[in-house]
Amino acid sequence: MRTAIRTWQRLAPVALALCLVTQWVRAAEPPAKPAGAPAAVAAPATTAAPEAAPEASAAALTGDATGEGSTRALDEQIQDLKQQVVDLNKDLFVLEEELLFPANTQVAVFVSMDVGSFFGLDSVTLRVDNREVINYLYTPREVAALVKGGVQRLYVGNLKAGSHELVALFSGKGPNDRDYRRGASIKFEKGVGAKYLELKISDKTRRQQPEFEIKDWE
Amino acid sequence: MIRCFGRPYLLVALLALVQPAVPAATAVGELAPDFALPAATGGNVRLSEHRGEVVLLAFWSSRCSVCTAQLSLLGDLQTTYRSAGLVTLAVSVDDDMHRATRYAQAHPTRFPMLLDLRKGVSRAYGVERLPTTVLIDRRGRVRFLESDDRGIDNSYIAQVRELLDDPL
Repeated sequence: MRTAIRTWQRLAPVALALCLVTQWVRAAEPPAKPAGAPAAVAAPATTAAPEAAPEASAAALTGDATGEGSTRALDEQIQDLKQQVVDLNKDLFVLEEELLFPANTQVAVFVSMDVGSFFGLDSVTLRVDNREVINYLYTPREVAALVKGGVQRLYVGNLKAGSHELVALFSGKGPNDRDYRRGASIKFEKGVGAKYLELKISDKTRRQQPEFEIKDWE
Repeated sequence: MIRCFGRPYLLVALLALVQPAVPAATAVGELAPDFALPAATGGNVRLSEHRGEVVLLAFWSSRCSVCTAQLSLLGDLQTTYRSAGLVTLAVSVDDDMHRATRYAQAHPTRFPMLLDLRKGVSRAYGVERLPTTVLIDRRGRVRFLESDDRGIDNSYIAQVRELLDDPL
């Protein structure tokens, strides 16, 4: 299902682009000329009378203006097309989320970090009901983003209603640059609505140690 | 508009449903699969953080003598083209993590030596022989995939230069 939606998501903008371009080309085509219609007026010859020259230059200027106008219109149409592709992609993303993770079974786990002086995050492993669901490695950039106040959605999945257990294993560098590995767990009830849990890493200044906490967003 | 969309969407959905479940190895022209791997010297490296740069992935093993010779040549290449936007990542496919780490510490390089312990990355890139090198352009697409021991010759450098000259 996920593969199908991903493929769909990849190809949908292309399909939309093709459709819109086809429609635009059809609209831009000149209407069919009637059989008895007179031929187009030929451009003035180089041997035209001198008094005709100002008119010709005026016509050329008008032509330039028309060309510029049509270029601008084309540019606007391209921008519209791009916007439609972006909107469609957004809709497909929302659709994917709704289909894969319906609100009544959705469980999402977020990670946040406060200060981070006593702990350098390296990885987080999540286990839900004794089954490993994700093992995420953090790069220095990602850790910096968390320290600045960013919140990362680490995992989103489905769970049926009832009681469940989440175990999070944090590994990294602790105080004095020593390897540090700690765990935190929570037992929670999954109800009808979506469940949101937050893994909070903070510094406990009094003990000079990091603190790991799992918060259940009611 | 609806009629225009209905048929391609239906076709695409049907085609996607009959796709095999096992993902195929990446081919030239496709988006390079993202990964995050631990480096032998500490820290982690994620490929997607290098979007906008030309990335050279070199799959190697400490047991492969050709690979180790190639790594030193890649070091020279990295020194020459680093300022132009070349990023080299060496991915070890050693089964023994300690052996790979020891090798990496004994032969320091100018680029990160990553450890693919679960072999997920080498499978994603379809690595069957060593050394294998993959060149990824600034848009994140696989542009060249070499799997031979010809070393770093002029044609290889030309490929790197071609990607570096290609603006984003």
